[in-house]
Amino acid sequence: MKILSFSGFVPEQICDTVRFTQYTGDRNISHYCGYASDFISRVLKDDSIDGAVYPRTCDSTRIISSYLSDSGKFHFGISIPPAGAVGADAFLASSFREYKEALEKHFDISIGDDVIRDRAEKIDRRNACIRKLCEERESHSFADHLGAIHGLLEKPLSDREVLPVIRKCDASDRKVFVIGSFLSNIKIAGHIDEAGLTVVGDSLPESGRLASVRPVKPSGDIFLDIARSMLSMRLSPTQDSFRQIMETDMEEIGRSSAKGVIYITQKYCEPYDYLYSIYKDAAAALGVPVLRLQLNDTEDDRKVSLALEAFADTL
Amino acid sequence: MAQTIIRIKTGLMKEYYRDFSKYAKGRLPEKKVAWVTAFTPVEILEALGISYYYPESYAAVIAASEKEQELLEESDRNGLCSDCCSYSGCFNGCLDLEEGPRGVPPKPDVLIATNNQCNTLPVWWNVLASRYKVPLIVLDYPGEASDTKASLEYVTLQHKELISRMEELSGNRLDLSKLEELTENSRRSVEAWNKVISYLPVKDIKATTLFDDINFLITARCRPETAELYEMMAEETEKLDAADKEKIPLFWLGYPLWYHNDRYLSECLSDFRIAGANYITWWSLDYSGDDVFERLYNAYDRTFLNLKQSSRDRRLSELIKASGAAGAVVLHNKSCKCDFVSARNVALPQVELDIDMIDRRYLDVERAKERIALLKETVCTG
Repeated sequence: MKILSFSGFVPEQICDTVRFTQYTGDRNISHYCGYASDFISRVLKDDSIDGAVYPRTCDSTRIISSYLSDSGKFHFGISIPPAGAVGADAFLASSFREYKEALEKHFDISIGDDVIRDRAEKIDRRNACIRKLCEERESHSFADHLGAIHGLLEKPLSDREVLPVIRKCDASDRKVFVIGSFLSNIKIAGHIDEAGLTVVGDSLPESGRLASVRPVKPSGDIFLDIARSMLSMRLSPTQDSFRQIMETDMEEIGRSSAKGVIYITQKYCEPYDYLYSIYKDAAAALGVPVLRLQLNDTEDDRKVSLALEAFADTL
Repeated sequence: MAQTIIRIKTGLMKEYYRDFSKYAKGRLPEKKVAWVTAFTPVEILEALGISYYYPESYAAVIAASEKEQELLEESDRNGLCSDCCSYSGCFNGCLDLEEGPRGVPPKPDVLIATNNQCNTLPVWWNVLASRYKVPLIVLDYPGEASDTKASLEYVTLQHKELISRMEELSGNRLDLSKLEELTENSRRSVEAWNKVISYLPVKDIKATTLFDDINFLITARCRPETAELYEMMAEETEKLDAADKEKIPLFWLGYPLWYHNDRYLSECLSDFRIAGANYITWWSLDYSGDDVFERLYNAYDRTFLNLKQSSRDRRLSELIKASGAAGAVVLHNKSCKCDFVSARNVALPQVELDIDMIDRRYLDVERAKERIALLKETVCTG
C-alpha cells in the first residue's frame, strides 16, 4: 500500500508513508494553501496512491477529508493538540491508535506493537542522521542539505539510517535563518545558495524541527510514547503558541549571528501569515531584516531568484 | 410585547457595550475581561463573573457601520496581509487606530480561543496575545471525526482546567449548580431561537432580522433574558402574514454580508425570498447530556463546522428541505475556507458568488446580478 502523508505530525512509526512533495497537473482547488490543494489533487489523480494521512491543524488541512471522502481511497485526519493542552499526550496517543485501527480495517492487515517499536527505533536513528546534518549545515549548500534530507525521507525505512555524503562548501558571511512550511520545491534552496547566502539555522519541518524531536522512550504504551516524542518537537505555528516559537527562533537567530531571515510561506497559509505579522517586528528589534517569499503552489519559484539576490545585497 | 422585546434587546446591548471606550470614557471595567471566539463555553465565564467580548462580532458591527476599509488597510500596513480573515484585519485595524463605532473593547485580562469553528481564530488570538502580553488559552475540540470517548475525556479535562484558571483570575469559586443553571439558559435560548427561525420558510420575515438578531444567541446565550426575548419573538413572528408565494424560495448558504444594509444581496433578489439560511442555525448548539460537562462537550465539540462532511451534508439537506428552497446562493467566502466546503454536495440549482463577509471589495454586484438572473431562469424552467 502506498499512503501519501502530509506533514511531520504523521506517525511514521505505525506504517510506511510517502511524504508528499510536489504535484504536477491541472489545479482546480482554490483558496486553500498550495501544498494542501496539490496534496488533494495528487491523491485524487494518482492511481498509484492508495490513501492519504494528514493532520487537522489548519483551515486548509481541515477540508482535506471533505474532498477525499468520495475518493474510495483510505484517508485519515489526525487531530493535533495545541502546545501545552492538558491531556494532549493521551489524546494524541488515542488518535494514533485510531489511525492504526483504521489502517488495519481498510487494508485488512494487522500491525503489531512489536513492529511499531522496531520502526520507532529505526526512525529515532534516522532522526539522529538528520540532527547530524543540521549540526553541519553551515558547511553545506542548503540545496544539498535539504536534498539529502528529502532523499532520506523518500527511502524505505530500513535504508534511512545511513548518513548521506554531502560535499563541503565555504560559508559566506551573509548568514540567514530560514523559517517556513515543508520546502517541497528544492529549487528554492538552490536559489538561496546562488544568491550567496549561507543558511545557519532553520525551523523547517523536515530539517530544524525534525532534528529537534526527542527519541521515543519506551514506557509500556507505545502510542503514548510516540505522542510524547512528537509533542517534544520544535513547535509549528499550527500548534498555537507563537510566544514559544518567537522565543526559540529569536534565540537561535541571535546565537547563530544570522544577518537576515528568509520567511517562506504558501499563499493562503494562515498560520504562517499570522505569525509573520509579529515575527518581522521581533526580528527587526534584533536588527535582522526579513524577506518573505510567498509561493503559489508546490512548483512555484517565480520571482524568487530576483528577490533573494536583492535581499542578499542588503545584508 | 413589541415594547418588551425592544427593552430586552436594548438592555442586553447596553450592558455588552458599557465598557467599550466610547461609553466607558476611561472608567475601568469592574470585572475581569476575556476576549473569546464565537464558540467558547462562555457559561463557565458567566458563572465566574468574568466579562467576555467577541472580536468577530465587533468586526461585523464595524463593517455594518461602513468603517471597515480604512481599518483593513491599517492592519495590512501593519503586517496582517489581506489574505487573512477579514474579521481579524478589521478588528486589528480598530485596535491599531483605536477607532470603531463604539470605540474599542476593554483590554483583555485573558484571551480564549477555540478551534471548533476554524483554525484561523487560534492563530489570530496568538497575535492578540502578543499585543497585550496576557495569558492565551486555546481550547481544542477534536470534533466528530475523533473517537467520542477519548475526546469527551480530553475536552472535559480542558474545561476543568479552564475553570481552575478562571477561578484564579477572577478570585471566585465556581458554583456547579450555577453552571448548570446557565447551561440550561443556553439550551432554552437555542430552543426558542429555533422556533423563531422555523417561521422563515412560511412567514413574511426579512432575513435581515434573523441575521441581526442571532447576535444575542452569540453574545448572551446563557442569559435568561435571551431565552425570554426569543420566546416573545417567536410569538410575534407567528402572527406575521404568510410568506409571498409568488416569490421563489431561496437558500442563503454562507455568512451574512455585514457591510450590506440588508445583510444579503437584496438588490439582486427582488424575485426571490430567503426561505432558509445555514448561518442562522450555527449557534443552535446541542446542550444534551447526562451531566453539565457532557452537555458542554456536546454543545462545543459538535458545532456545525466541526462535523464530518457527511453529517454536514445531512444537516444542510434537512435545512434545505425544511425551507422548501428551489435554489441556493452559495458564498465562496475569502475569509472562511471551512464554510465554503460545506456546500459542495448540495443538490439544488445554485449560484456561487465570490465574496467576503466584511470586505465589500470582493463582491462584483453586476456579475452577481447576471448569475442570479441565470439561476432564476434555471429554477423557473427546470
